[in-house]
This record gives sequence, structure tokens and C-alpha cells, in this order.
Amino acid sequence: MATPNHSYALAAPTLKNLEKEYPLNVPEQKAIIDRILETYCDVPGGLMVILNEIQSRVGFISQPVQEYVARVLNVPVSAIHGVVTFYSFFTTEPRGDHTLKFCMGTACYVGGTPQLIQKAEQILGTKTGRTTPDGKITLEVCRCVGACSQAPVVVVDEQLYGRLRPSKLPALIREITKASSNSSGE
Amino acid sequence: MPFIFINGQPYQVREDTNLLRAAQEAGISIPSLCDHPDLTPYGGCRLCNVEVKGLRLPAAACMLPVTDGMEVYTETEDLVEARKSILKLLLKNYYDSGNGNADKPNALLKWCDYYGVDTSQWTRKEPRYAIDSDPNPFIRVDLNKCILCTRCIRACAEVQGRFVWGLAERGFDSQIVAGSGVTLLEARCESCGACVEYCPTGALTHKPSFGAELPEKKVQTTCAYCGVGCNFDLNVKDNRVIKVTSNPNAPVNGVHLCVKGRYGYQYIQHPDRLRSPQVREYLLKGMPKPPAGESPWVTVSWDTALNLAANKLAAIKRESGPDAIALLSSAKCTNEENYLMNKLARQVIGTHNIDHCARLCHSSTVAGLGMSFGSGAMTNTVADIVEHAQAIFIIGSNTTEQHPVIGSKIRQAVLRRKVKLIVADPRRVDIAEFAQIYLRQKPGTDVALINGLMHIILKNNWQDQAFIDQRCENFDAFREVVEKYPPELVSKITGVTEKDLYKTAETLASNKPAAVFWAMGITQHTTGVLNVLTLANLQMLLGNMGVPGGGVNPLRGQNNVQGACDMGGLPNVFPGYQSVTNEAVLEKFNLAWQTTHADGSTPPLFNNKAGLTSTEMIPMAGTGKVRALVILGENPVMTEPDANHTRECLEACEFIVLQEIFPSETSHYADVLLPGVTFAEKEGTFTNTERRIQMVRQAIQPEGETRPDWEILADLAKRILAVEKRRPTGSHAGWDYASAAEVMDEIAAVTPIYAGVSHARLNTGAQLHWPVKDLNHSGTPILHIGEFTRGKGKFHPTEHLDPQELPDAEYPFLLTTGRVLYHWHAGEMTRRSQGLLDVYPDAYIEIHPEDAEALGILDHQQVRLSSRRGIALGKALITERVSPGLIFANFHFAGEQNGNNLTIAALDPVSKIPEFKICAVKLEVS
Repeated sequence: MATPNHSYALAAPTLKNLEKEYPLNVPEQKAIIDRILETYCDVPGGLMVILNEIQSRVGFISQPVQEYVARVLNVPVSAIHGVVTFYSFFTTEPRGDHTLKFCMGTACYVGGTPQLIQKAEQILGTKTGRTTPDGKITLEVCRCVGACSQAPVVVVDEQLYGRLRPSKLPALIREITKASSNSSGE
Repeated sequence: MPFIFINGQPYQVREDTNLLRAAQEAGISIPSLCDHPDLTPYGGCRLCNVEVKGLRLPAAACMLPVTDGMEVYTETEDLVEARKSILKLLLKNYYDSGNGNADKPNALLKWCDYYGVDTSQWTRKEPRYAIDSDPNPFIRVDLNKCILCTRCIRACAEVQGRFVWGLAERGFDSQIVAGSGVTLLEARCESCGACVEYCPTGALTHKPSFGAELPEKKVQTTCAYCGVGCNFDLNVKDNRVIKVTSNPNAPVNGVHLCVKGRYGYQYIQHPDRLRSPQVREYLLKGMPKPPAGESPWVTVSWDTALNLAANKLAAIKRESGPDAIALLSSAKCTNEENYLMNKLARQVIGTHNIDHCARLCHSSTVAGLGMSFGSGAMTNTVADIVEHAQAIFIIGSNTTEQHPVIGSKIRQAVLRRKVKLIVADPRRVDIAEFAQIYLRQKPGTDVALINGLMHIILKNNWQDQAFIDQRCENFDAFREVVEKYPPELVSKITGVTEKDLYKTAETLASNKPAAVFWAMGITQHTTGVLNVLTLANLQMLLGNMGVPGGGVNPLRGQNNVQGACDMGGLPNVFPGYQSVTNEAVLEKFNLAWQTTHADGSTPPLFNNKAGLTSTEMIPMAGTGKVRALVILGENPVMTEPDANHTRECLEACEFIVLQEIFPSETSHYADVLLPGVTFAEKEGTFTNTERRIQMVRQAIQPEGETRPDWEILADLAKRILAVEKRRPTGSHAGWDYASAAEVMDEIAAVTPIYAGVSHARLNTGAQLHWPVKDLNHSGTPILHIGEFTRGKGKFHPTEHLDPQELPDAEYPFLLTTGRVLYHWHAGEMTRRSQGLLDVYPDAYIEIHPEDAEALGILDHQQVRLSSRRGIALGKALITERVSPGLIFANFHFAGEQNGNNLTIAALDPVSKIPEFKICAVKLEVS
């Protein structure tokens, strides 16, 4: 029988247990999270707003952050984890500089999204739901974005690309990476 | 009552119920997977969809309130087709690697079978998830069988109140996860097994009994761990306990159990069990006694062991008088056995030197409540409190770990009825999460805290003056003392803010009835009795006594510590708290237990002076005033304060007879070892913390040559009487019992509060809370209705006193001791149940992060605690449960890991309870 490797009944993780780079250990980021929590903790249904704000301003909602929010709001962490994993807008890991979202709506799916994903994973050497090692691009799938007439559709950050073929992907990705290095040079 | 039509037939059904439940109660089966009567309806599986006249589409019966005149059809062709589709869709994601729980039907497969859905055609051929994917030693997780009915999620939230399980991801990827997608134990799972109990398909199963064969029989019995008194079934095959299963008829707990009750049964037939009587070799050879533990054990017959013990005890009595012998009874044993132990001490040996571990846990409660009300037990039942209390005040009780099922019921009351919960404890115990107000008072300041609350209540005139005037006395003297505890002063003594004090007083005053719960945090102090008196004052002041949902509710620790007290396992009372100083009582027992010598003379009458308490008899064994100890199922080396001193005393004691199930730290010092049995091997009764008397039923034959403890005691008593040539002549003086039931009949005859108790009544389902005045009396679930046992409730003025030993420069930390969820007292049972040891393998010492940082201590690092009396080693557990400067250690682990090496034998002057909760220690990295 495997012996579980854990600290018995640690009521909630203390900050000391966390990795250095986690937002809760970066004072500026923790301040942002605390301000968000303070602002919305008493608003009915405030959990969604809080998670939204954390996602937008910190960039991701890691496990320790979920636990921290749970503790402050006195909400079970399992409930928060449920919400975070339900909505594709929320991520538990940092996103890359750019996000490619492949539409999995029926029209896009039939129109060739699986082939697009396969190609993108091959070019970037990463998996859907993950980010390239250089932190540039994240691959994701999403639900129908309402542009079925242009299927298959890929949403790059806020920009929508329709009727995409696997053969066009290398150029698209080059373009994104170039824009990214340009912008980072500014 | 609404009338509804189901499939054309009229039925009268309950109001305020849903259609599914109404149909079930009318005996009509509607298929369902996600529904369970204990849980809130979910409407997830859609198998219970029915057609209702007037509704365009089928509706889920579990979500549909019944209305008068409703016309429902439950098995139309369309419905059957829809159900088949649902079942097929579920099977598409269902992979079955075999059923590990032979006696629990799989609801999914049952309905597939019912509707003729071919499972082999539709189930997955490959697993999607790892089988047995969680390392929890008790709960086996196989998501391949999960149908997302969420019963586990609801059970964890609504029954256990822990919220470990959740639903993550969505669509095809949906799955149940623990916490934020971690392992169960990391997600703070308490391993109660409720999720398993409610799982309909076997996605969650009991790991320790996975794959066990079908039991030959199930025996309903009462749990032998804590005082909650849960019932469950021992499952037996080939004379072995193969598992524990819930029994829905269990009066206290229903199907709910805690980790120890459900999974901590492996000790019952552990290889370490003592299986035959043993005596020290020096006794057989007639040599002088060598230092303790040096003379080897020799396995002997029962005759040899018992004759040796009887002769030696009789000789000591002859030489030094009966008071040179002292007896420790056992709160782990049955009422019948405790009664016999008390009879052995008083009738056979002729001493009141009998005590048991209640001295160490609730002696201050028994004394304090006796003074206030005339009866020292919990006044209300748990079911009554969780149903009727408007507020619950828990002080000094780690309820969810020490009385887990009561803890979960209190959580349920907070969740379902929004009961106002106030928790006061120097440690931020888990139940504090559910509290509306959490007070972290400094250890040893409880009198000041409660007096401070009562000061505020009186200042605002919130007291129940009518109750006080009619039912209480000594109010003015009490009021005068409380005057001296204004919030400013109390805040300074206790460390609780004035605002919190005010809020607490107001909450208690405006939410009635309020029930108070307490445990060792109140009692184990040099001010233990004062603490109890003060809480009794509070409840009288608020008029919360003798009403449903109120009362004073000390949670008793051991399975039968209430019963051991009731049965006269105390130095100052005969069974039923009949005082040894009362002449009429002495006369009664002199007659009932009379013996006659061969020459026709009778032994001297019982003396009218209370005997020694356990905290006195052990030191006196050290000085030779007590020459022999007879110990039944206790382990004083582990559980008495200042263990090193206890060891010295036992070492010095001339003769120790120990009746035990395992070799223990105490058996090292014993001279005669009599192997008793566990609760699974004998008949009898336990009395739980609510004064509820319940049956313990034999499930298996005793191991090896062991005998039920009541038989051993009777045999020993008869032999001592024979040595002394005494004949039992009184009405209840004999020792020829054919069964434990006969012992209970004798108890009933001499104990007014048990007068109406018999095994026959209990076996036919009677729910009896003492006092049970006669065979027709139905018991007394709530005490002190209309009048207190002593007549008027008495207010006792109480003052704050400092603890005996506070931190200083040399020993700068304050140590408080206690237990943890996964272990039981001295650990003999739980350290022999593998899973429990897997989860909690070491003596963890809780340290606040600030202190750990200051001393450079890392989580899980070996540390060393030392006090003026000894040292204890353990692993650091860095947690904010304790406050800075406070350290928590347990006493479950033997030898150098035992927290009682450190504790101080400072005693409460009235009850002689030791101050386990406060002593000064030094903390170092070892």
C-alpha cells in the first residue's frame, strides 16, 4: 500500500509552502489579488468577478491561488477548482504571450480543427492546453465562437482567422512570433 | 395531505416532499441513480423522469414537488426508451474492472439489467482513467466507474461537511476531483468513507476490504472508540472480522461513521494479541521480585494465573488491610464488567480504592455538574441539539477530530439550519471554520472568559430572570463576583478582544436555546471544576437548562466512560452515583453484597470514606502504601501525567495484575497478565456520552485462550472469596453469572438510574437514556426538565486562577496536549490498524510558523521538547492552528514520543484531575 506523502491536516497552506515565483509570493501580485478579494468579497456571486479579475490581471489562477481565494472567501476549494476548470477562459498555468484558440464547435470540428491542432502541435512542439517552452505561444481549444460560416476558425489573442488550412499555419505562427519579438523590442 | 395519481392509482402522500420520495413511500419504484434520501435532490441522472399530465415534457421526479391532484405516469413506452438511451450513454463511458465489493449492488448495472440494456455491448473496452488512482489507504478511487451522479460530492458536503469532492472540467472531460485536483488527503479528506457509502456504482470503494468475500453474518454492535456510540455491523467470515459496514438502523449515526470506526478494526485479530495467561517466572519459583520487566513471562493455565493472583491479593489484604490494594477499572470495557470490577473492589477486597480514566478526562465535569445540578452527565442528546438549538457554543473541544460523528452533525446543523456556532479554543481546531465567532483565548483563562461574557449579559439585562428566580439559588453571591469581570479586564486576561466578547454575549443572549459543548479543554486544568461550574452558571443565567436544544453537554471521551462512572468505577460512589458517605446506601450494599465466613461471621461493613483516585493511587504505589494494583484495560504509563514518575511508581509497586488485550507499556511492570477480549468477542453494554445504553454483541469467538473480561473478573472474585473462606449470602452477593445479561439484571436491581435496563429491552430496540426508572419507563433523553436533580440549580461564584506552571525564560513555550483524528488515546488499537498508521505515522508536534522560523525549524524536521519532568521527541508540523508560543503534542505514541513525558501532575483540588493542558516546555531541533 502506498504511503501518502503529505502533511497531515495542514489546515490551509501557509505561504511558506509555496514556490518562489508563484503570484502569492511576489508582493506586487499578492497585493493585486488581495485588492481584488477585498473589493469583491462581499458582493453576492462575487466569485466569478474575482476569478475573472485575477485571470485578467495576474494571468492565471494556480492551485495555491485557488486555495488562497477559497480560504479568504470561506468557500470550498473544490468549488473554486470546479469553476476554474469549467470555463476555458480561466487557466491554471501562465499563458504564453499569445494564445491560439482552436474552435471546437460542430462546423469547425467537421471543417478540420483536429487536423489544424495536430499541425500546430507538431510545429510548436507542445500540446493543446500547454505553452511553448519559450513562453511565446499557448495552444487551447474553445467552444463555438459564433463564426461558423468561416469554419474552421482559430482565434489568435483577440483576432479571428477563418477558413484556415493546415498548410497556412506555419506562416501564421511565424507572423505571430515576429510580432511578438517586435513588440518585446519596443 | 395531497392526493396524487400514479399510473392511474390514487395515493395519499406527505406534503413537502418530492414525487420520487412520495412514490418510493407508496411502494412504487422509479429508477434513479443520483438520488439518495439523505442528500439534497440533484436532478442529474434524469433516470427518474416521469410524465406528468399538463407538462409538455417529462420531468425529473426527484425535483418535482407533489401537488394535489397530480397525475403521473412512471413507465410509459417513451420513458422506457429514454431511460435505455440514458443508460447506454452512461455505459459508453463506463469501464468495469470487476466488483470489489461483493455485497453492495451496482445501481447502474441493476437498472441496465431491469431495462434489458446489454452491458457487454455498450461498456468501454479500455479504461479512461487509472484504476485505483488515489493513495488514500481507505478510499479506493476508480473514475472509470464514475457516472457523475455527484452523490459523493453531496455526501462530503452535506453529511461530513468537509467539501473535499468537487466537479471539475466540463462536457466529456467532467470528472470528480478532490480539492483543487490533488489527492484526497491533500484535499483535507478525513477518510470518513461517507462518499464510498453513497456511491451507487463502486467508483469509490473501501480499500481495506476491497475484494473481500461475502460475509457469513453481520452483527450489529456499538463502536469501541469514542463516546459518540455509533452502531455498525461487524462482517464476519470464518470467525474473522473482514470489514465494518454501516447500518442504517444505527440510532446515533445512521450510515455515517468516522475513519476509526469504519476502518480501524484490524487490531481486533492482530498477531500481537495476548492469547494466553502469563505470569512472571519469579512468582512460580517463589523467588524475590527482580526489577520490573527482568523476570521472563511464563505462559500458564488460567487456573495457575488466577490462583496466583487470588492468593497474592488475599495475602496482601490480610497483611496490610484492604486499602493496600487499588483497582483501575476501564472505560473501554462494558457496563457489566465495570460493575463487576466495582463489586470486586468493594465486596471482595473491601476497599473504595477504585477509579478509572474518567479521573483524567471528566472527573471535573462530574464533580462540577454534581455541585451545580446534582447530576454530572450530558443533559441533552445530540439529535435534540442539532435539531433544536439556535446557537451552539463549543469550548475546549476539538469536536470533529475527537467525536467525529458529533462534529459532522454540528457542521450539518450550521449548514442546514444556520445555527449560530461559537468556538472558543486556544487552538484553531477544524470546527472553528464553521464558527460565526471564533475566540482564541489564552490557555487556562476559561473562567475569566465565561465570567466576562456573563458580566456583559448581566450589564445588558439579557439574563433569564424568571428561570433564575424559579429554579436557581445563590444568584446574588454569584452576581457579585461576576461584577469583577468587566470586558477590559477580561480582554487583558484572555487575549480576546472586547468586541468579540460583546458579540459572543449578544449572540448567546439572542439565540435561544443555546447548547454548550465542552471536553478536555475545559476539564484538564487545575481549575477544571471551576471551569465547569462557570459554564453551568452561564447556562442557568441564560435559562438554557432543561429545554430541548440547550443544556450542558460534556462530550465523554471513551466508548464507555459514562458507563464506567455510572457503574461505580469511582472511589466515592457505588453504582448509580450512590455516595459511599450515605449511611442508607452503605446499609443497602452491605445487605445486597453480604458474604459470610465459615464461622458465620460477616466481614466488617464498608467504610464511609471515599477511596483513592487514580492520580493518588499510583503515587502511593510508588511509596508502598498501595502494595497491589489490579488494572483492567488501562495503560497508565501512557496516559497519566508525568510518565517518568508513573514508571517509577509502577516499578516500585509490589504486585500488579493487568487484564489487557495487547502487551503495553504498562505490561512491562505487571506480574500477572490476564488476556481479555475486544468488544467483538463479548456481550455487554456501553453507555454513550448521551447516557444512551446500547448493546455490544459478540461477533467472533475469543482469540486463543482469551476469555470475556466479565468471566475473568467473576472467576478471580470467586477464587479470592474461596481463599478467604467466604460464602456469598446477600441478595446480590454471588458471582455465578451465566451471561452478561444476568450481570445487567443485577445492576438494574441495585442501581436506581439503571433500574429499567435489561438486555432483553435493548435487543428489542428500546432506546434508553438513563435514568430509566423501571421496566416500563422509556428513559430520560433530556435531564433537569422542570426541576434539577438536586432541586434548585446552584450558582457558584468562580474566580480566575493562574495555571500551576507557566512559561518562563528556561521553558519558554506553553505545551498543550490532546489527541488526533487518526489515533486513539495510548494508541494500542490504532497503532495496530495499518491504514491509520499510514496516514499519521509519527508523533507530530504542532508549532506556529513564527516560532518555527525563529528557531529555524522546518516542516517534518525532528524536534525535541523538554520540560522539568522529561523529554518528548517528534516531527514538527508547522501550522497556524496553534498560536505563537503555543505547542501541541499528542500522547498516542510510546516511549520517547509520548507527550505525557512532559506533562505536570498538578491536580485540581476537588476532582484531582491533572493539568494536561498546560505546562512549560523548551523546543529544540533534535
